Amino acid sequence: MTQEHMWEPGLFPFEPSHPHPVHDPDKPPEDPGRTDRPDEPNRQRVSGKSKATMESVKELGANNVPEVRSNIHCLSIVGQIEGHLVLPPQNKTTKYEHLIPQLVALEQAREVEGVVIMLNTVGGDVEAGLAIAEMISSMSKPTVSVVLGGGHSIGVPIAVATTTSLIAPTASMTIHPIRLNGLVIGVPQTYEYLDKMQDRVVRFVTQHSNISEEKFRELMFRTGELARDIGTVLIGQEAVDAGLIDGVGGLSQAIDVLRAKIETSNPMGGHVQ
Amino acid sequence: MILYTPMQLELVLEGMEEMKKPEVREVDVNGVPALVQDEGLGKGKVVKLLSTDPKDYMNPNLIPGASVSFYGDTK
Repeated sequence: MTQEHMWEPGLFPFEPSHPHPVHDPDKPPEDPGRTDRPDEPNRQRVSGKSKATMESVKELGANNVPEVRSNIHCLSIVGQIEGHLVLPPQNKTTKYEHLIPQLVALEQAREVEGVVIMLNTVGGDVEAGLAIAEMISSMSKPTVSVVLGGGHSIGVPIAVATTTSLIAPTASMTIHPIRLNGLVIGVPQTYEYLDKMQDRVVRFVTQHSNISEEKFRELMFRTGELARDIGTVLIGQEAVDAGLIDGVGGLSQAIDVLRAKIETSNPMGGHVQ
Repeated sequence: MILYTPMQLELVLEGMEEMKKPEVREVDVNGVPALVQDEGLGKGKVVKLLSTDPKDYMNPNLIPGASVSFYGDTK
């Protein structure tokens, strides 16, 4: 059994020139994917390994049941977002160099119609986080993020990068200034550099959410809320009130929003599962 | 590199000095070029994929840290 056969999801039977299903007045409207006409093949997504399946039937007498795959993909971003530096093994990390090609695959795959991003991150590398956020925001497919547990620091731009962002009622988001780690060569230069890095984050967040720059900076530099740092922790509804996140919600709300977006962006074709 | 995290940097970076650079080599795992860390004959742990096909990155058998077996190696 080779690896290539495992990754051929799509329409079965495959017809490259197959037109979008035309609306039939006789057909019940609640089930647009089905067709009762005998000349049209049943358009159902299956992940089959036709050749491998035949081989296993022949050789082993075992039959692989074709599984129906989801039109929504779930991407979870957890722990530290690992960038240019490999972190020590006690950290749980999300490797950005693996995530970025996955986003390319999701954007390109015809059978994927929407992406849910589950966030529970404590931040991480600025460049890697912004890279993921930019990739998500430039996707043409509907995306929904759900902040669960925490979406701190560089998790904030990733959360707001999606078409719709949601936060669990108990989830928190820490907004604080970028701190220095590394060598200080000259104080004014270092300050300016940090300020620029911070501006990148602030700009991205204010462009992709309803929060104003002034408000975001005010939250970022607020004193007296964090024990070890300046900044703010926003919990659930507070993040929505600040304009950072679109709504409070969990899994069912995320899927509902995504389904509605898929239907409005693709009213004719598609197969609602 | 700037780490933007509310976690204490001492905790995140603890053990950084003792970290060894893993011995990696480039192999072909069922047609997918990857960097793997040796785990015995014909076996290894994926460190990073080198493939340019985005679909390879969706394969759960090839995520970083997964154990793979391979035959042809291009050392």
